[in-house]
Amino acid sequence: MGAGRGTAFSEVMSGSVLLDGESGPRAMRLDLSVRAEDVLLPHRTTEAVVTGRVRIAGLADDARATGELEISPLARRRIRYRIGFTVGSRRYVLDGWKSISLGRPVKSMTLLPFSLFEGDAEREGGAEGLPGMHGGSDDGGGRARAAGTGTLRFPLTTQLLPFLTSFRFPRAGGGAAAQLAPRWDGAPGRTEVWYTTVTDPATRTGLWLHHELVAPSDGSGAYAHGWVARFPADGEGPVEHARFGPEPWKPPPAGEGFAADGIKSGPGGLRGAAGPFRWELAERPLDGPLFTFPHWSWRRQLLPAAQIVPAPRASYTGTFAYEGGELRLDGAHGATARIYGHGNARRWAWLHADLGGGDVLEIVAATSMRPGLRRLPPLVFLRLRKDGRTWPRRPERTALGWAGPGRFKARVSLPTWTVTGRCGLRRIRVEVSQPEERTLALDYTDPDGSGAVCRNSETADAHILLERWWGRWRKEAEWSLDGTAHAEVGDR
Amino acid sequence: MSGPGDGGRERLGGLVAALLADDGSKSWPGAVPRRLGSVLGTMPAPARAGVRAAAAAVDAYAALRTGRRMRGLTPDERETVLASLAARPSLLPVLDAVKVPVMLAAGTERMLHEEPAPTGQAAPTGQTPPPDDPPLDCVPSVEWPDRSSADAVVIGSGAGGAIAARTLARAGMRVLVLEEGRRHTTADFGRRAPLDRFGELYRDGGGTVALGNPPVVLPVGRAVGGTTVVNSGTCYRTPDRVLTRWRDSYGLSFADRAAFGECLDEVERTLQVATAPLDVLGRNGRTALLGAERLGWQAAPLRRNATGCKGSCQCVVGCPTGAKQSVQLSVLPDACAAGARIVTQAYVQRILVEKDRPGGPRACGVAVRRPDGSELEILSPLVVVAAGALHSPPLLRRSGLGGHPRLGRNLAIHPAASVAGRFAEPVTAWRGVLQSVGVEELHDDGILIEATAGPPGMGSFVLPGVGRALRRELDGAESLATLGAMIADLPSGRVLGARRTLLRYDLARRDGERLMRAVEAMGRVLFAAGADEVLTGIPAAPKAYSQDQLRELLRGLSAKQLHLSAFHPTGTVALGADPQTAPADTAGRLRGVQGVVIADGSALPSCPEVNPQLTIMATALAVGRAAAEPAGVARSA
Repeated sequence: MGAGRGTAFSEVMSGSVLLDGESGPRAMRLDLSVRAEDVLLPHRTTEAVVTGRVRIAGLADDARATGELEISPLARRRIRYRIGFTVGSRRYVLDGWKSISLGRPVKSMTLLPFSLFEGDAEREGGAEGLPGMHGGSDDGGGRARAAGTGTLRFPLTTQLLPFLTSFRFPRAGGGAAAQLAPRWDGAPGRTEVWYTTVTDPATRTGLWLHHELVAPSDGSGAYAHGWVARFPADGEGPVEHARFGPEPWKPPPAGEGFAADGIKSGPGGLRGAAGPFRWELAERPLDGPLFTFPHWSWRRQLLPAAQIVPAPRASYTGTFAYEGGELRLDGAHGATARIYGHGNARRWAWLHADLGGGDVLEIVAATSMRPGLRRLPPLVFLRLRKDGRTWPRRPERTALGWAGPGRFKARVSLPTWTVTGRCGLRRIRVEVSQPEERTLALDYTDPDGSGAVCRNSETADAHILLERWWGRWRKEAEWSLDGTAHAEVGDR
Repeated sequence: MSGPGDGGRERLGGLVAALLADDGSKSWPGAVPRRLGSVLGTMPAPARAGVRAAAAAVDAYAALRTGRRMRGLTPDERETVLASLAARPSLLPVLDAVKVPVMLAAGTERMLHEEPAPTGQAAPTGQTPPPDDPPLDCVPSVEWPDRSSADAVVIGSGAGGAIAARTLARAGMRVLVLEEGRRHTTADFGRRAPLDRFGELYRDGGGTVALGNPPVVLPVGRAVGGTTVVNSGTCYRTPDRVLTRWRDSYGLSFADRAAFGECLDEVERTLQVATAPLDVLGRNGRTALLGAERLGWQAAPLRRNATGCKGSCQCVVGCPTGAKQSVQLSVLPDACAAGARIVTQAYVQRILVEKDRPGGPRACGVAVRRPDGSELEILSPLVVVAAGALHSPPLLRRSGLGGHPRLGRNLAIHPAASVAGRFAEPVTAWRGVLQSVGVEELHDDGILIEATAGPPGMGSFVLPGVGRALRRELDGAESLATLGAMIADLPSGRVLGARRTLLRYDLARRDGERLMRAVEAMGRVLFAAGADEVLTGIPAAPKAYSQDQLRELLRGLSAKQLHLSAFHPTGTVALGADPQTAPADTAGRLRGVQGVVIADGSALPSCPEVNPQLTIMATALAVGRAAAEPAGVARSA
């Protein structure tokens, strides 16, 4: 685990609580989602933030409980839970801890006795505001009142496996902004891309803003260039585009992304002018980074190139002027993606599909230019973020399968290409259509000077079928995107 | 039906009948074995086993000698068997050790049978019942939640703990006092016989013994109020020479005469300390006054924390009239009024320590065991240790905080010997103030004589003889006056153990000489007051009829033959400026960990040379104020 990783896991505990003034206990259950900034190490103390659901039979069901966790099984021999939740208008706080005993590891790790305090409903927020938490903090005004006691247990038989498999060590602090900074280290033969695709929900117009840094292989000066394209909704006119650059590359100040000749793309938004187009868009990320290619390939540049999406769902607000009109975007959905590597693939296909409801699908299928690799069928990197979780868990899975068998398959052709694959108890089929009249073909130039042709459409159609095995394949979800998918196919 | 219990009781019965020369003429000796059984039940297992083994051995000896067991012998035969045992000087200490619990049981039974009125029932007609105790916020540990938090946890509710709790609570902290014992009210004391209370109020049934030569009986209280519930109520201010030594040799800045005097003043106000009035003093005290006056020695009624004392002479088993201002009647109610809460029957298993804190390990609370064996935990950034000098070191050890090489050492106990004088007139020492008069003539030499008499059987004086001789002494106990003398000792003891306390005390040669000198001095006071004979309490030389004879007797003896008892253990987690020699710093903070403060007798750097109640409380007050300070600063920040 490198530095900068966090920990996330979920935990379920059930038991009972005896409220003051009541004769018998009530059943109680906690469904917690825990997130820490650091990697959880048992011999250290890790502070974590808890969100989740607190249920007390016949009394409470608060799905927006928040609190904090102090995880220190060895250093302090304690895992302390402090969770605030609301019952009606009243604010309650659960304060308890597992007291770890090395002599009774199982019992002490699963048993959580707690006290319940009733506090002031107006004192909201994190644990700082929780009454009865810190010594003496409840002196001013709302003195926490003991409201009951109880014991929760971690049900080993049913919850151990889900608990263990829920552990994640996401990169902490790697928000969208951090991933937008330039990565070029001055080496020749590199290309770096920031590209943003947006669909305006009002006019169903697609936008493509491509910003590229090229460091030629011959060692000549790096230059920045790019283009911008407008894809009108079906039947409303031809696809228009304009190129900008090339300009000599000047490293931007820290904290910014691409910047050349007044054209910027980075944290906070995009702006610039090229040909008839003029744009000023504020970008607000709505989700954490999605690594289409494996983390390691992005960080260590071990593949010829890698693509990630710093914010797979982002909202764009602002204006986009073109010859004869102007788009006013207000919370239009889209995404900015990043590529860094040695050049374009020999053959590739890309899809970004905003599925609605917070779900998003990102696919890159590519055949490398490298000798040997170029003989392989396209490697498919498919990431489906659904209900807050990303499937398959590891990007390598779709590309490599089990050293070949089980890998996801792509049939890349135009106007329709498909990706199919199966992982665990799920399988997916994606069919993308890029009608020629809605597609823009552009020439790409690699750092080594070779060329490629990219056929891109920000108004593509896509049909996605997700199935789950339960005795037989049953449909889990199905999406049809009609002119709102962002896709491209490139070849030489 | 006969079982091992019956056999044991029969053996005990035989021993008791022999020791007390029970000839069936009186009914009370017959009730003693049962009472003895219940006394032994409260004692630690080794003591219990010891007495039972002694009884079995005596039984076996009788069987060898006569062919029958003790129970089956006639009174005369029993006397012969016992006399032949007592003729061996090496067996005398063993017989004496067995005699102590038997006398305890016998004293009670005799009193119950012969004067049932004052103790058997509640207040006799015409006497007003004691006032209700001030309210305390006491919660038994079984009703306390498994998980809770506080700003400060005070371990122990005795003299030190109570004052510390009050100080911290008044500073605005949420304070929890943890007490291993139960709460006993004045009304409870009034209802029950002294011996029934004895077993409950004392740890190990009062049978705590420091191993050594001679062994020292060292009873300590266990109740809400700690040992102040069962002490004699004597309130001496710390002598100036002791304070000077603490300030100059140990670097205790709070032991400054003026600053410490202010603490003592506040404690005295709280405890309503006043000189014991002459009218309730009792004949025992007046005898001591008379003797000292005739010798021209400095003596006076003691200052005590019992203004309305009625002379019940039951201080050591809880004042039945509520006159003695033990801390559960004086300090703890104030603490509770300031918001402190008391959890009773809560045995602190260990102090919880967070080792990964920046700046070193830090105490963060306590783990507590309930009587049913279950555990509860309380988180608190401040832990005040006031479990007493004998139990604070083991607590710190089992918490992993016993690393300092001097922790548990430096035990001074203020050992005491007692002497009785037989007078022609009845003295009836058990009517009046239990500890009434102090003879301070030799105090500068480290000898403090106090007229002390307990309820029958409970005094620390052991009557001489066995069989009929003992019975005669017992029947003549009314005419005995008893004095006790405590000597300022060197810290020659040690508290061992972590889960169980093991005491070791090796009387220093200087202290042995002081004790012999004290015995002689007490004899002088008694003879001067008109005693016909003086009982030394030494089995090998039990009686003297004149001062010269006493001096002669004592010349061939050493302190190792005395029955020693001690009531003032101090110094095992001493405060001091030198990190090498003192486990705690001058503000009472335990070295090597943050957040642990020592506020009981163990904090005193050396023997205070007087009854230590006020000294301990004033020290706890100073330590508590220092501990409350940083919290107050943090609060206002």
